[in-house]
Amino acid sequence: MTDVELAIKNGQLHLKTEIMTIQGTFSYEDTAYHLPISYALTGLPVHDHDTLLDVFSRTKENPLVASEIILAKKTAQEGKEGPPYTGFIGDTIIRKLGYSLVDGSILGLALIIGNSRSADTAAAICRELQEKYMLTFLAGPVVSSLSSAGVKLGLDYRLIPLGSSTLHGVHFVDIIARVAMMFGGVTPGDMHRLLAYAAERAKAVVIVFPGLSDEEITLVDGMRVLGFPILTLEDYSGGTWIQATPEDIVRTGMESKGIRVTVTAIPIPMGCSPAFEGKSIRKEEMYVEFGGGRSPAFELLRMKNPGEIKDGQVTVLGPEIDSMAEGSANPLAIIIDVAGKTMKKDYEPVLERRIHNFVNYGEGSWHVAQRDLIWVRLSKEVVAKGVKIEHIGKLLASKFRMDFPQLLDAVSVTLITDKEKVLAAKKEAEQVYDERDARIKGMRDSEVNTYYSCTLCQTFAPNHVCVITPERPALCGAISWLDGKIAYEMSPSGANQPIEKGTVLNAQNGEFEGVNRFVKKASHGEVDRCSLYSVMEYPMTCCGCFECIALMLPEVNGIMVVNREFKGLTPSGMSFSTLAGTIGGGAQTPGFAGISKGYILSDRFLQGEGGIERLVWMPAQLKEELKPRLVKILAERGKPGLFDKIADETTAATIEDLMVYLEQVQHPALTMKPLV
Amino acid sequence: MGFDLKFNWSGSVSEVTLGATNAEGGTRRISYRIGGGKTLPFLETIPGSPAPLIAFEICDNPQYWSPVVLAFCGDRVNDCGEWAKAADSVYGADMVRLYLTSTRQRNFSDVVSIGKTVETVLSGTSLPLIIEGSNEPGIDSEVFLKCGEAGQGERLLLGTAEAGRYRSIAAAALAYNHSVIAQSPIDVNLAKQLNILLKEIGVSRDHIIIDPYTGSLGYGFEYSYSAMERIRFSALKGDADLAMPVICSAIDTLTAKEVREAAPAIQDDIAVQWEFTTGLAAAAAGSEIICVRHPRTIPLLRKAFASLKAGKISGMGE
Repeated sequence: MTDVELAIKNGQLHLKTEIMTIQGTFSYEDTAYHLPISYALTGLPVHDHDTLLDVFSRTKENPLVASEIILAKKTAQEGKEGPPYTGFIGDTIIRKLGYSLVDGSILGLALIIGNSRSADTAAAICRELQEKYMLTFLAGPVVSSLSSAGVKLGLDYRLIPLGSSTLHGVHFVDIIARVAMMFGGVTPGDMHRLLAYAAERAKAVVIVFPGLSDEEITLVDGMRVLGFPILTLEDYSGGTWIQATPEDIVRTGMESKGIRVTVTAIPIPMGCSPAFEGKSIRKEEMYVEFGGGRSPAFELLRMKNPGEIKDGQVTVLGPEIDSMAEGSANPLAIIIDVAGKTMKKDYEPVLERRIHNFVNYGEGSWHVAQRDLIWVRLSKEVVAKGVKIEHIGKLLASKFRMDFPQLLDAVSVTLITDKEKVLAAKKEAEQVYDERDARIKGMRDSEVNTYYSCTLCQTFAPNHVCVITPERPALCGAISWLDGKIAYEMSPSGANQPIEKGTVLNAQNGEFEGVNRFVKKASHGEVDRCSLYSVMEYPMTCCGCFECIALMLPEVNGIMVVNREFKGLTPSGMSFSTLAGTIGGGAQTPGFAGISKGYILSDRFLQGEGGIERLVWMPAQLKEELKPRLVKILAERGKPGLFDKIADETTAATIEDLMVYLEQVQHPALTMKPLV
Repeated sequence: MGFDLKFNWSGSVSEVTLGATNAEGGTRRISYRIGGGKTLPFLETIPGSPAPLIAFEICDNPQYWSPVVLAFCGDRVNDCGEWAKAADSVYGADMVRLYLTSTRQRNFSDVVSIGKTVETVLSGTSLPLIIEGSNEPGIDSEVFLKCGEAGQGERLLLGTAEAGRYRSIAAAALAYNHSVIAQSPIDVNLAKQLNILLKEIGVSRDHIIIDPYTGSLGYGFEYSYSAMERIRFSALKGDADLAMPVICSAIDTLTAKEVREAAPAIQDDIAVQWEFTTGLAAAAAGSEIICVRHPRTIPLLRKAFASLKAGKISGMGE
């Protein structure tokens, strides 16, 4: 074991002594950046004794600068090393390397330095780096030991031998310094910017084998200032180098630098694209099905700790497709385990809903509903092509990684087709569903300080701004507060932005100073005020996607709601489509509001107008749809009789009928404060 | 006429340089500095403020091109150097836009030929160039590297970056100092998002041109018009992430049913009218570069731009 701290003390001194003695001139060819590290840090070209001393003292005797100068002088004196060594790499090639880094065809850079105890260990590490799309630079005796182990070196193999001595590792840093100046907009001499670029943008790791001199250890340790993790195989102690085993050294390095391997192709024998999402698989086209009331089936997405799951692993427990009878209904559990540094338990249900989309992306796989209501089919066509249950797992594992690269580091999928096991696992799933319901149900607008906007519909409704709160989902019903929150975290410049609600201006109407400020800006100055819970005063704008329209009926002092599916005339004298045409397009129309079905069940529904007691009319079909939940909620709120007092087209088709009906049932709206 | 043309805008469109002359390190006979608008199109009171540029589109594999244009242009469509030369000296375009349609063939792999094609076009014309790279994500990386390299020093305009596919083109722009066309599907917010993504990867604002996607007249152009108009409003209201010049290429006009099914005798006229009307409307919405494929559209657009500018001057006095 070499003590790093001790070595650095000696090394620092040796480096200083050595550069003091350097005389004569020296420079590199094929570069506009002089000695790139020194130039990037100070903006000064170093080419002789005086300039080197100046730069060395300006950089507070930086070991990278010292090593760069020593190597440049050595190269000038002795000439470049012959093949396979590259020595200093010219700007033209760096430009291409930089291209591949920005472009993403290289994920990151690695430097392997020193003398590996075993050529096989070094070869295995190099192979793993190659597989993970890293570009690896080599310096020191490790090069010859890799060659003797038969490892092919060169740019084509993403293994670049810089030089025979560990000192040549300094080229790794001069490459990164030039990439920063060429691609990162770093001006020579802007040390702060350079360090920030190296730390945040340069995806670089350093792996150190034994056999380094004190000066070389000082050089390597000097790279820490650039934010590169320094990894070793238990050969060095002290300092802040990371110890790892040969098996996990690459993974540890890449993880600590946040380098992620992205999935680009899905290895399954059927097409996979959103283009297939809308297709359905009819009974005649189906090979097998799962769930849909015909067999037990459910889906569950769980968060796990990073160590607990193996990325990309797909397990099938129970019979595969070839032992299922054609046309049969079979049990199925889809269990997805995910892990990621930024993953949160709250995201589980939102991610779980994506299973629906992803399975439908498959050319011959079809999925409807959610949780333990799912119904999945596989078509005869793709089963004939060789699609198995396992491939659905691969599809899911890949798509989750592809679509949520920032969020998920590892995804594994378990598919159970054994009936007993499905039933057993379903018990656990049901418990999770209950916990989730309880959590969402418990969320109140008053408990959070941040709401989320949605401006997806500004495509066709330029000034429309949806404000999404825990108790008021987006008017289209498709985006909840949690969805908005996650969408923002995953895509910070996307259509869902956080809104600090700020001070309360009108608690009953739900008007907040911060919401007003946001809406004003996001509506391009068109809308000044927005009350979240009122239909009458400054209601939210409407795009056109609303599930329902709530509108006031002044004749009966109440508010009616009509849903998109209702084709007939409402007591207002207008149909849904006529109403939609009147209020859509991003306008604010007092007396009218676009709402989701879910919002009708919310405690905040019509709060500005006195609450759900204002609700006088809904189409029978919508009433029926909401009945189980609405009756329960009304009972809890101590209004058990209210549900039956709400009219529909069968009890009141016109406003006159409605007046009669409401009188007859003594609807509470009649005696409430006048709406207008 | 009582129009108040003082809007008190707080922002302006950023400027982008296209092409590089000898003095600027390239080989073009002219370079353009586009953008810089401080009010709505054709209302600039600055004398000599530029009319939109007209770019003529060519390709290196004509099998993907409109038969109307191929018939009009004749044999030169099989030699993109000659075609580019004609765009410059015969048709009178301001720029040439080369589509590397050869990359659309199945399993295309001849990346070396891409570099040669770009060089051929660069020597065929001394006008600034727009290069449209591959249409296939799998070969983006190699194709754009080749384009960037072949045009080093020429300040090309490279197309087309989209939200899911912008890294290779951004890398080529950064490595070889070119500019980028950022295309979004007729959506102001997505346009802004892509500009932010490009900025995050390192492409500076003065190297980005917005393509809001141009639907053809009668086939959704009004959506494009509205998107262009709103991009311009946002820019003038001070939103720097949308304050880039706009390029419009109404490539769908020549495949519109009315053009496709026109009687042979009038097919050219219909094609030109369709392209001209779409291009003129896009210019009115604020587009700084109008791309066309039919040579006869060029003089019509030029005349229209001149009269719009002239009309403005007499109109202002009233």
